[in-house]
Amino acid sequence: MKIAKSLVQIGYLYILLFIGNSIARLLHLPIPGSIIGLILLFLLLQFHIIKLEWIELGAGLLLSELLLFFIPSAIGVIDYDALFGVQGVKVVLVIVVSAIVVMLVTGYTAQWLEQRKKGNAA
Amino acid sequence: MSILIAVVSLLGTIAIFYTCKVFYQKFKKEWLTPMLITPLVIIFVLLLTGTSYDSYNAGANILTNLLGPATIAFAVPIYKNFSLLKQHAFEIFLSIAIGSAVAIISSFFIALVVGLNDKLVHSLVPRSVTTPIAMDISNMIGGSPTLTAVFVMTTGILGSLLAPIIIRISHFRSPSAKGLMLGMGAHGTGTSKAFEFGELEGTFASLAMVVAALISIVLSTMFFPIFEQFVMNILLP
Repeated sequence: MKIAKSLVQIGYLYILLFIGNSIARLLHLPIPGSIIGLILLFLLLQFHIIKLEWIELGAGLLLSELLLFFIPSAIGVIDYDALFGVQGVKVVLVIVVSAIVVMLVTGYTAQWLEQRKKGNAA
Repeated sequence: MSILIAVVSLLGTIAIFYTCKVFYQKFKKEWLTPMLITPLVIIFVLLLTGTSYDSYNAGANILTNLLGPATIAFAVPIYKNFSLLKQHAFEIFLSIAIGSAVAIISSFFIALVVGLNDKLVHSLVPRSVTTPIAMDISNMIGGSPTLTAVFVMTTGILGSLLAPIIIRISHFRSPSAKGLMLGMGAHGTGTSKAFEFGELEGTFASLAMVVAALISIVLSTMFFPIFEQFVMNILLP
């Protein structure tokens, strides 16, 4: 029963995706339909046009299993023989260094802004 | 035959993923994360049986397809925690704007320094954004969307493995700093990791991921081409 309900709710999310894609295409927006759908769903919830219960189960199921949906894209690497050699090592190097820098900068900025706010409040 | 391969690919991917998840939860070792082990096992099986990616993906792409509605589903945690978002709006926006710019510029420069070709450079630039958006951006700036998908995944896996180490050495304590760096640095994978730390961390990571996606679209499609022109023609003529 719970599964059936979740599946129907995922169907609603697909409808929003379809609307999002249509809006992006009609208005020639450089934004993917899924992000337009996200903003649309947020607005529909915020203005109480749709109820949280209508989509909560399905959305929860998708979000809790999110990692699974990324797997097939990762397997795509087998089509790029070149990436198994020196190129691959270089790519991993770029990603590791850039990811460390990005996380440090983001974390320190967030922490600094928060401490500054606390300092102002005190 | 090809339908059989498609069905086995889909069910096999799900089965291997959940088996890996059970092992990960049992032994609690970072490197056992299903994000790392599942692709390795599947690649091994594909190479062993001589199955092409296309015939594997004919079935497994149903899972990739679910990323669309899953991205929309992020509206739910955002809606539920909207007061928190408003309270921290400035911090979230500023740290993610800086993080996104650093992600694009550092990927670009390091890729140039190690001497990767144009296609690889442009496929690496959008790598810290969630897959469907990264693929779109890649297409718009002249990269290869499938390569980008692979790089996004690699970023997610490596980012989630590196994050606990970075948190330890930098003494990030607040849920906002931890969540934002995970959502920014490792998108969807990082967000799942952040939910392992706690509900608040996970919410900040979800917000970071969405904000990063929107900011990156603007930065990489409008400012990156100008920036690249500038670097290529003026700094490195």
